[in-house]
Amino acid sequence: MRRRSFAALAATAVGAPAVGGVLAGCAPSPRPGSRAAGATLTVATTTDVVNFNPLVGNSRTDYWITDLMYPRLLTIDEAGNKQPWLAVRYGYHDPKTGYYRIRDDVRWSDGKPVTAADVAFTINAIKRDKPAGNTTFGQLTNVARASAASATEVLLHLSKPDQTVLREVGFWMNVVPAHVFGKVSNVATFANTGDWVGCGPYTLVSAAKGQAYTLERTEPYPWAPGGKPSLARVVFRVYPDINTEILALRSGEVDLIANTLPPAQVDVLRHTTGITVRKVPGLGYAHLAYNMKHKPLDKLAVRQALAHAVDYAAIRRVVLQGQAVSTHSSPIAPVLTAYADPSMTEYRHDPAHARRLLRQAGYHADARGRFGLSLRMIYSLQDAVTAQWASMVASDAAKAGITITLQGMDRNTYLAKTDAGDYDIYAGNFAIMDDPVTNMALTYLPGGAINYSKVDDPALSKLITDAQVATPDEQRELVAKAAHLVRDNVYDNVVYMQNFYVAHRTEWTGFVAKPSELLTVVDPASLARVRTRS
Amino acid sequence: MSTALRFAGRRVARGLLTLWFAVTATFLLLRLLPGNPALAVANPNMTKHDQALLLHQYGLDQPLIVQYGKYLWQLLHGNLGISFTQQVPVSSVLLARLPWTLLLTGSALAVTIAVGVPLGVLAATRRGTVVDRLVQLGGVVGQSLFVPSVGIFLLFFFGLWLRWLPIGGAYSPDAAGAGWYGNVLAHLVLPCLSLMLLQIGSYVLTLRASLIDALGEDYCELARAKGLPNRAVVWKHALRNALLPTTTLVGLQLGFLVGGAVLTETIFAYPGIGRGIYEAVTQLDYPVLQGAFVLLAATVVVASMLTDLLYGVLDPRVRTR
Repeated sequence: MRRRSFAALAATAVGAPAVGGVLAGCAPSPRPGSRAAGATLTVATTTDVVNFNPLVGNSRTDYWITDLMYPRLLTIDEAGNKQPWLAVRYGYHDPKTGYYRIRDDVRWSDGKPVTAADVAFTINAIKRDKPAGNTTFGQLTNVARASAASATEVLLHLSKPDQTVLREVGFWMNVVPAHVFGKVSNVATFANTGDWVGCGPYTLVSAAKGQAYTLERTEPYPWAPGGKPSLARVVFRVYPDINTEILALRSGEVDLIANTLPPAQVDVLRHTTGITVRKVPGLGYAHLAYNMKHKPLDKLAVRQALAHAVDYAAIRRVVLQGQAVSTHSSPIAPVLTAYADPSMTEYRHDPAHARRLLRQAGYHADARGRFGLSLRMIYSLQDAVTAQWASMVASDAAKAGITITLQGMDRNTYLAKTDAGDYDIYAGNFAIMDDPVTNMALTYLPGGAINYSKVDDPALSKLITDAQVATPDEQRELVAKAAHLVRDNVYDNVVYMQNFYVAHRTEWTGFVAKPSELLTVVDPASLARVRTRS
Repeated sequence: MSTALRFAGRRVARGLLTLWFAVTATFLLLRLLPGNPALAVANPNMTKHDQALLLHQYGLDQPLIVQYGKYLWQLLHGNLGISFTQQVPVSSVLLARLPWTLLLTGSALAVTIAVGVPLGVLAATRRGTVVDRLVQLGGVVGQSLFVPSVGIFLLFFFGLWLRWLPIGGAYSPDAAGAGWYGNVLAHLVLPCLSLMLLQIGSYVLTLRASLIDALGEDYCELARAKGLPNRAVVWKHALRNALLPTTTLVGLQLGFLVGGAVLTETIFAYPGIGRGIYEAVTQLDYPVLQGAFVLLAATVVVASMLTDLLYGVLDPRVRTR
């Protein structure tokens, strides 16, 4: 009996891993080695693929992996200009009919040609099923339907003139194969978990959640030199912790970290043997939005005082370690050279001027120099960089006699508070502001989905709505005027635009950096060209 | 009905009640979380109307009691629902991850007991010596360790500096055939060691204290007086009673093990259920979270029942209470 009882405890302890071992054996086995000859690039990412359907998935890893399989109509160059990709030409037959002319030499991985019907199907399916995470859905507001005029021409029938829709839909929308996605009744609930059909440069062949995603070369691939992507396969491995990710890069377990590096790690990795750090221009910005529905933020003088209180250069120097640049308080990222206005100037860090502005506005400081202004600022604790500069902003404001109470919170609470407008000051960042007209409409028109300042300025609204139907040259002029209005009235207080850095093993070369934290060097145009130096 | 059967029946009934409570609490707590799943997955272009449509699609626009009723009904039929974000059955999401968590936590528990019991015995039988003090010090230090620090240190030392073991994952993507099992084992070593280091202090210190108490009991004195060698007194007489608190600890620590596995799995990029829970929390994927918590609650309840039953085997007096 004594022996039996101890044995029972031992059996419990030893049996558990045995059970685990058996179950682990039941887990999906890795796919045996590929037949394709050539190199494998192993890429580290911090998150899993949430959804393999590019019309639904909106996490960064979803984007990176599905973007390698489902083409976009347009791409972007380093100056932020939209360039041909699947669409070789686009424009408007008349104010209410847009068109894309697409390439005729692209095939899906199952051999079927990519046609205008695929593009039209994708647009109509998004309109019909409204997939939740789909960015394109909101851009199709003025599109009534799409049709294929021929095998290579897609028509967009607009409900009202819109000069931005072709650029935005072309840049953001992944085209999916109609002969695969058309078989499901609702693309919004289609998981697309296997038998993937893509059109390269790589197509997913196996996925092990929490572990790795393997993609293999698709041939022919007309965008790659010689019609063939340089790598045989690309493997994305998941390392949720950034420190582990960096150790994996240093040990050679992975070749590239897809996520941009935290500012503090950039210099460390720059000085690490065998590692190359590469700069990627940003396309978004970090900003402070003052909720103008809340008093006293409806007063221009108060917003200006807050703007003059912040030491922007110190934030960029200390928190971003010099890896961010000023936008000159413009909501247009400097990388967008066609729109950025070099005559704009950043709000000067001047606490004394901030105090003067408040006094002129009728506020009186107490014996300790405080004006009795107390404001709540929300930010997400998941965003470590914003959390750091938010405290600097509060400290700067205190020097100007304004009290800012910091409310760092988890992302979901932050989203809920943002959605409800439950803040005085919102601190955060926009990831990609690739099209000034579209983004200004979302940010500064009344009811705009990301109008966090609750701006409602008829003059600004007119500039933006005029730009939506203007020619590209007219748009630049209207956007410049709108940017000045935003800056001068502190409708948005842009703190910096961050340049990003990615790291890879030095033996790899051929990367093409595309602007934004989303595209970086894992864009299809880049990974189709990557090779080893030897 | 025999005493043992009645004892087992009571434990099973209590376990089921605990499970129902855990299911209900999970259901309610998730809905008390700030934010809503539509916001967590929606893109900035989405209007309020479309967010409402999404909530309708998720069934979250119905009264709470209706949602709860439907959820329980589905659960009774073995249906954990469909993931909001992944659009696949929750059961498949969890089943892909569960084996790795079982492998990791089970191995960690086994190694912890295999190392912790002899160390506890050593410290108790060498009470007051340098060995005892060292074991106690190690135990206290182990209890105060922080998962990320231990994990990163182990990865740096064994993975990067010595290059003996892989940095992350459960196996290399190119591992195949028979070599796959060795590859899995190599990937298991560091996360298992990390969990073991965090756990072992509790076992060693608990066992040491209870064994010292047991060795001072009359029946051990009697055994010694009868001329039994000290080794037999310790291992055959005292240890059995001394193991009772340790057995309780195994049951209690299971919950901690699973909780600890969330961080461990994150640091070591281990594809277990802990990481799945973390991701589901960030996306407010209620069905996956509910499924995961039901599964974990069931695991803890079953482990607790087994502990109770084992307790009954170790100490027959328990069955009559």
